[in-house]
Amino acid sequence: MELNRNGIGKSNEDMISVDKLRKEFKKTVKDPGLRGSIKSLFRPKTEKVVAVRDISFAVAEGEILGFIGPNGAGKSTVIKMLTGILTPTSGSCTINGKNPTQNRKSYVKEIGVVFGQRTQLWWDLPLRETYGVLKEIYEVPDDRYRKRMAFLNEVLELDDFIASPVRTLSLGQRMRADIAASLLHSPKVLFLDEPTIGLDVVVKDNIRKAIEHINGQEKTTVILTTHDLADIEQLSKRIVMIDKGSKVFDGTIAELKAKYGQIRELYFESDCKNAEQTLAYDRQFALGKDDLSVETEGKSVKVRFNSSIVPVSDMLSYTLGKINVSDISVKDADIEEIIRRLYGQGAES
Amino acid sequence: MKNIKRALKIHRIFMAQEFKRMMEYKGDFIVGIIGFFLVQLSNLLFLWIIFNQVPTLMGWTVYEVVFIYGLSLIPKGIDHFFFDNLWNIGFFIIRKGDFDKYLTRPVNTLFHVLVEKIQIDALGELIMGIALVCVSIPHIGADWDFFRIAAMICMIPFITLIFTGVKTITASAAFWTKRSGNVIYLFYMFSDFAKYPAAIYNRVVQNIITYIIPFALTSYYPALFILRGENPLFNLGMPVLASAVLMTAGIIVWHRGLRAYESAGS
Ligand SMILES: Nc1ncnc2c1ncn2[C@@H]1O[C@H](COP(=O)(O)OP(=O)(O)OP(=O)(O)O)[C@@H](O)[C@H]1O
Ligand SMILES: [Mg+2]
Repeated sequence: MELNRNGIGKSNEDMISVDKLRKEFKKTVKDPGLRGSIKSLFRPKTEKVVAVRDISFAVAEGEILGFIGPNGAGKSTVIKMLTGILTPTSGSCTINGKNPTQNRKSYVKEIGVVFGQRTQLWWDLPLRETYGVLKEIYEVPDDRYRKRMAFLNEVLELDDFIASPVRTLSLGQRMRADIAASLLHSPKVLFLDEPTIGLDVVVKDNIRKAIEHINGQEKTTVILTTHDLADIEQLSKRIVMIDKGSKVFDGTIAELKAKYGQIRELYFESDCKNAEQTLAYDRQFALGKDDLSVETEGKSVKVRFNSSIVPVSDMLSYTLGKINVSDISVKDADIEEIIRRLYGQGAES
Repeated sequence: MKNIKRALKIHRIFMAQEFKRMMEYKGDFIVGIIGFFLVQLSNLLFLWIIFNQVPTLMGWTVYEVVFIYGLSLIPKGIDHFFFDNLWNIGFFIIRKGDFDKYLTRPVNTLFHVLVEKIQIDALGELIMGIALVCVSIPHIGADWDFFRIAAMICMIPFITLIFTGVKTITASAAFWTKRSGNVIYLFYMFSDFAKYPAAIYNRVVQNIITYIIPFALTSYYPALFILRGENPLFNLGMPVLASAVLMTAGIIVWHRGLRAYESAGS
């Protein structure tokens, strides 16, 4: 299993296996202005954009995978290839033994897809009608449909607005409705591309609980992209991070912390007027910008430092020896901090 | 057989949804129909002015021309009524990446797009077409035997598919170019030539509308047989052949296009 995680080996247990998946887009490049437009009409210049660069990973059945990366990293493009919307330029992906672009119709019956920025609901009709149509499209039998709707109603609390036209729904309501639509046919795999985008804390929480619940009850395999790391922390044990189309990390959150989490945070309070200058950590320990940051706010000071260069004990004894402090503590950096650093580094590792 | 049953069921459900949607926007629908009738009336006025000057047009009497005019509106109206969504493919759906949703559903994408929407405004064309055909028939001294009427009715599905086929091929261009609405429009405009007997045009135009963008096959040629009993093999056979060729080409190009579809960033 450990091997699969890193996408090296393959096993039959994997629900999803992705092998050197690549997607290139052609972009027409135009010189600016009318002149450029006319020129490109007669002699179009195209440029290759590599959106996804030979990515491999695997997901086990029943797993929730957090798929993260900065804007433009290629997350949505990967999801679109996995769901059969885009044809890969090269490489392959297999989901539950099937190739998404071959035999698309039987494949999509086994998956549910939500793109947070789009909707698949019938815009002008009451929400209920959408489910009625999807029932027929996915050939869900009457009794299963009734049970399923009752279940989804309960988990996603659709009752308040199921009779309203879709165009009148708020973003949060629409997102819940879309997630319900993707689950109507009890898919084995659920692809969620930014399902919490633009939602308030309560609705986010509601949606996370629903995903957790469905994953727990039905062993649905989930791939989730998001920019809200709280989604990941609550839902998935494992993350795959990509940047500029390449994979930069694949492993559990604990592994991420162990690997990149040498960053610690030291908090203390001091009456000393200019603690920052007095302490001068950067000169004392020769720490670069990436490995050290100090924030002072009134009496309290927060120092972020790389503990693989300066051990925590050295940091503590130096600080305590230099100034008088009241109340001191050391914390692991949170995952946001780690990710911020990783996104900044780009695809070097 | 099971597939056909399922397709019909899905079609019926989409239709029902469309009628419900229409009821939400009644006003718009009524304005659409009124607009159409105004356009058609001005066209008929034009015919009436011409025939006030000349008794026949290249050997065609006024009622024969009215028959051809009316017959051309029927397949056009049926296609417009059922398969109008192809315009949205050409103008918006692909360019905005909204085509994604069709690809994630277990239904043939072309079928889904075709049956998803209906265009009620098309009833104007259809009613007008049927009315003109019915009005002109009693004034035309053809042998109205059973066979000719049956031929006319049997031809309608085929000549409708000539419209649908041309629209499918041109709409599919959007998979590569992102937007092909104006390409559809350009080709669709040729159907205006079908309203009048092809004999009135010069050779070049005649050849184009017979063999290349074959809208003359949608009314003039069938009318040659229906009204005058001429050459059934060509006049009925060609439209049937053309509809099969165009629809097959449309389906092939469409499915090629799916592989080229690039969605839109999100
Ligand atoms: N249809 C397209 N045509 C051309 N280029 C595209 C297309 N879709 C995406 N791209 C390019 O591919 C790259 C990856 O885009 P993608 O939408 O997959 O990013 P993402 O990781 O989902 O970003 P975000 O977090 O902003 O949603 C970007 O550089 C984008 O410009
Ligand atoms: Mg995205």
